[in-house]
Amino acid sequence: MNEVRPITRTVNLIIILSLTLGLGLTIVYFSYNQNVTLKTTTRGNLHQQADLLYQSIKNAMLPGNAPNAVSLFSDIKDINPSYEIMLFRAHGVQAFSDNATIETVNKNLDRQKFKLRSSPLENVIDISGDTRFKNSVAQRKTVAFEASESGRHFFTIYKPLLNLPKCTKCHGSDHTVRGVIKISSDITPVLDKQRINLAISGLIFIVVVFILTVILTRFFHRKIINPVKHIGEVCISVTNGNFSNRVSIPNRDEIGVLGETVNRMVEGLYERFQLSKFVSSSTIQSIRNKDRGARAEIAILFSDIRSFTAFSENLPPEEVVERLNGILSFQTDIIHRNGGDVDKYVGDEVVALFSGEEKEYRACKSALEIQQEVEADAGKRFGGLHLGIGINAGEVILGMIGSEERADFTVIGDHVNFASRLCDAAKPGQVIISENIYNMVKDRFKLSSPYKIKVKGKENYQKVFILEERVE
Amino acid sequence: MKHRIFLTVIAISLIFISSCKKKEVKQLVPDDYKGWAMTATELTYPIPGHESHYRQIFINKIGENVKIEKKNGRVYYDYPRGTIIVKEIYPTLEPKKGDKPISLSVMIKDPDNPLSRDKWLWIVKNLKTGKEKVIDYEFCFDCHANANEPYPYGDGNKNGDFRDYVYFPYRK
Repeated sequence: MNEVRPITRTVNLIIILSLTLGLGLTIVYFSYNQNVTLKTTTRGNLHQQADLLYQSIKNAMLPGNAPNAVSLFSDIKDINPSYEIMLFRAHGVQAFSDNATIETVNKNLDRQKFKLRSSPLENVIDISGDTRFKNSVAQRKTVAFEASESGRHFFTIYKPLLNLPKCTKCHGSDHTVRGVIKISSDITPVLDKQRINLAISGLIFIVVVFILTVILTRFFHRKIINPVKHIGEVCISVTNGNFSNRVSIPNRDEIGVLGETVNRMVEGLYERFQLSKFVSSSTIQSIRNKDRGARAEIAILFSDIRSFTAFSENLPPEEVVERLNGILSFQTDIIHRNGGDVDKYVGDEVVALFSGEEKEYRACKSALEIQQEVEADAGKRFGGLHLGIGINAGEVILGMIGSEERADFTVIGDHVNFASRLCDAAKPGQVIISENIYNMVKDRFKLSSPYKIKVKGKENYQKVFILEERVE
Repeated sequence: MKHRIFLTVIAISLIFISSCKKKEVKQLVPDDYKGWAMTATELTYPIPGHESHYRQIFINKIGENVKIEKKNGRVYYDYPRGTIIVKEIYPTLEPKKGDKPISLSVMIKDPDNPLSRDKWLWIVKNLKTGKEKVIDYEFCFDCHANANEPYPYGDGNKNGDFRDYVYFPYRK
């Protein structure tokens, strides 16, 4: 038999997989989108601020108010310390760090319009080695990037400040980029928020999956798996011959209805089981097969108690029934032991059928065993009664004989009648067999010489044999 | 039947292979611009953006129909859709005879193009590689915005006409 794979495991697996995949994908999708939105918004804001600053600086510088731009940077830094705004010259040195630009402008204007600074800036920052800065200048376009520094994460924009035609009067026409605005924002809090979002999403996912798994598993176990297992247990106990168990499912659903159906089925089976004690197995087989009649080769054994009527007249009815049942029971046991089937009891008579391999041999063996047991009893159990047995074999008609209300499975035909006649002809303790039987068992039993008897229903004398003993 | 399946597989494979073939990029700048009218002939001084490179500017037929009208006291230039202005950029400020331009800076009036800025598509074509690049960031646009106010080139646009981002307007 193939190994049984419990459905519990499969159901649990399906529940966990469905929840994990379903909820997992949903949470991953929403968390990812939320984080992307957060990041995109932050970047978008910075770009927008960079554009605004670019315009402000451009306008502030045009009338020669460069210091205003520096002041603007300082004000913004004060408002938002996470921001860093700086202006660099096109070659990477921090702007307003010395008098170079003022000198160039004064030279281009051919007058000392702007006063030189008395002292240049200290700790001047130089980013000329930064490749992204170089790219921004070379390509004359905005470069944005993220970078980490001292455990903090920064989003930085390099935005080139173009030397527009209107600026050339002061700054000259020999260069395209006047400088680069660097706007850097500490986005560590944003990233922290992303991480927290992910952690919370993960935690919610685990908790929700766990709770739903427990709830769904319990629900399935309570409503489906346990009732089905219970029904299975009842079925197994019925298979083992125990009809006392019943399915007990309080659910008013399909499973509950199934339980009730199983209970009704068990009750029906119990009734049939009880009935089968009173019905031959060939009858049951016939009912199963819904036989309406068939021809078959079988051996028929008739056994009858001699002088039973006279015997019964001198005994109380209870003892008569007890003695009769005792005699019929031991015969039945022997017949069953030899693979035969008691077709019916007719008063003190037993009609037994043998089919299949060695049916004739098994019938004869049963007959001898019955006679031997009766002889061995010596009047103790069977009150000194004796049996006469007749056996014949041949093609008979099997079928349910009777009406719709009351029918018996039995055999009919000439061979049946002949077996009955042989039984009638047998003296107490004798087993008479037909020539058909003889031909099949002559090597395995000691038989007395053939006799010829005249029986009712047959015109001619019939050749018969008396079974003595087994020779094996 | 087998032949039919074989031919179907071959056909599907060919369709797949042909669909994978690199699509040819449509060239925005026509090669025949040399026959167009010129808006400025001698641009021999350095300017930001083109620095020390000699320039020549051509405009296509459509652009010759520039609409010039005065509104509320200000003159407005409006180049028709499809106008193409090609600025040749030479290797030096004083090119020798026979020198060829190294790149083209091109303006195409294409208001519906998502890459356009203020109705113009700004393109740089590298004549060595033949590659065209649409400049959708500030660089070209921001500089040419100065053409709509007084500037230090050509006639200087003293009156601050709106010259539709063109420093050297076409005049018949």
